[in-house]
Amino acid sequence: MARIKGYPEALEKKLHDQKFYADDSNPEFTKSVKSISRTIPHMCYQCGTCTGSCPSAPRSTYRIRKFMRRVVLGLENEALTDPDLWLCTTCYSCADRCPRDIIPTDVIMSMRNLAFKRDIVPVNFLKTVTAIYASGHGVPNNDVNRAAREKLGLTRDPPTTHMYPEYMPGIRKIIDHYNLKANADRIIKEREG
Amino acid sequence: MSESGANHKFAFYLGCIAPNRYPGVESASIKAMKKLGVELVPLKGASCCPAPGAFGSIDLAVFYAMAARNLVLAEQMKMDIALVCNGCYKSIWEVNHKLKHNKDLRDAVNEVLKEVDMEYKGTINVYHTAELLYNDKFIGVDKVRDSVTNPLTGARIAVHYGCHLVKPHKDREFEKEVMLNTEHPTWMEELVSALGATPVEYRNKMQCCGAGGGVRGYDIVHALDITNEKLINLQEEKVDALTDICPFCQLQFDRGQIEIQEKFGVTYNLPVLHFAELLGLAQGMSPQDLGLDLHGISCEPFLQKVL
Repeated sequence: MARIKGYPEALEKKLHDQKFYADDSNPEFTKSVKSISRTIPHMCYQCGTCTGSCPSAPRSTYRIRKFMRRVVLGLENEALTDPDLWLCTTCYSCADRCPRDIIPTDVIMSMRNLAFKRDIVPVNFLKTVTAIYASGHGVPNNDVNRAAREKLGLTRDPPTTHMYPEYMPGIRKIIDHYNLKANADRIIKEREG
Repeated sequence: MSESGANHKFAFYLGCIAPNRYPGVESASIKAMKKLGVELVPLKGASCCPAPGAFGSIDLAVFYAMAARNLVLAEQMKMDIALVCNGCYKSIWEVNHKLKHNKDLRDAVNEVLKEVDMEYKGTINVYHTAELLYNDKFIGVDKVRDSVTNPLTGARIAVHYGCHLVKPHKDREFEKEVMLNTEHPTWMEELVSALGATPVEYRNKMQCCGAGGGVRGYDIVHALDITNEKLINLQEEKVDALTDICPFCQLQFDRGQIEIQEKFGVTYNLPVLHFAELLGLAQGMSPQDLGLDLHGISCEPFLQKVL
């Protein structure tokens, strides 16, 4: 294709100026986020509709647009060590309004997954895992509720893993396949002694 | 289809908070749905969905496998799943959808399930009971209206849709198109009207309850502040009760009001009822039958208005 003389050089120079250089930028991070989230964070043009729709933004320093930029720029450490990462309520309002059809909430979820791989994770998340490993339920039954269930004509324990604990070994096998319980226990112990 | 007996049978996936904190939601769902020709059969051995926010944040691969196990239990029963919780819908429906459409995910999940002699086949569908009530293919608003023996006349009721049933709408595949509107839906209000009550609109109706994504456990004050904003908006409209279709949202609004009282010193005393509980009341179940005494916030002022 015929080009106007001198144009490619000018373009090259211009693009060179605009390339992002930073020592702490990791292109692998961008790729990992994309593959775990199964959405398209690189399409973000930073309009801020996500932050404008976010119920967590008005009451904290959490800015989902900032996290979207960090993904595109590969700023792994900055993204994963920011405690605001855990303030997303996963309401998906940003996803519903994103004009680029990105699902920012899933981008956050994938970054949380990557943070966990580096042991960066609030303990309450791990406790959900250990609760499910123990009883199959994140919110298990208790005696007050058992009595109430009986009054309602229900079984004291619901017909879940609570009533059929024989299903528990299978659940534990699945969780152990990923070594999740051992990792959760280790991190909880490091934090709480 | 015959009018007598059960026209539809579903494996009833309970989740955690409904059976273990608000058992009235479980019993009301079974009884009320039966009157509407839908039989809910226990899904034996089901576990936590697992919690999409708290568990999914840790490792999505394990999240997919754990949700798939629950799906396989229903596949073995050769039954579609019905459930009463938005969080469970997010896990169970969405993982079912993802596994059906992504071979790489399905293969990865089946490799793990093989260790427990299970295989995900993708043979069933997943429905929220609110969707069954609204969709006339299963029940529909008219049938709900016809089943009412104790209309909730005079009660001003606001709806909290919650997030994970309808959002993100790009991924959802409801047969009823109005359910895909997440900016200002009114299909739940139609159901509230069918019970004889007056549905009430309020500011920022579609805002999250604040509990999801593990935030309730991570930063309770932050979560409650979101809830508090919704409660302020509800108070402005002088509603008699708030209805929800998610036990986790219900927990956040109901028990949350007690925590808001402790932490912020504000009192609302707004009764919060799952739509199944509301439907049970309208069909003539007593508050005792519904276990409404287990709620953190007394439902009495509301009950006095409608009984």
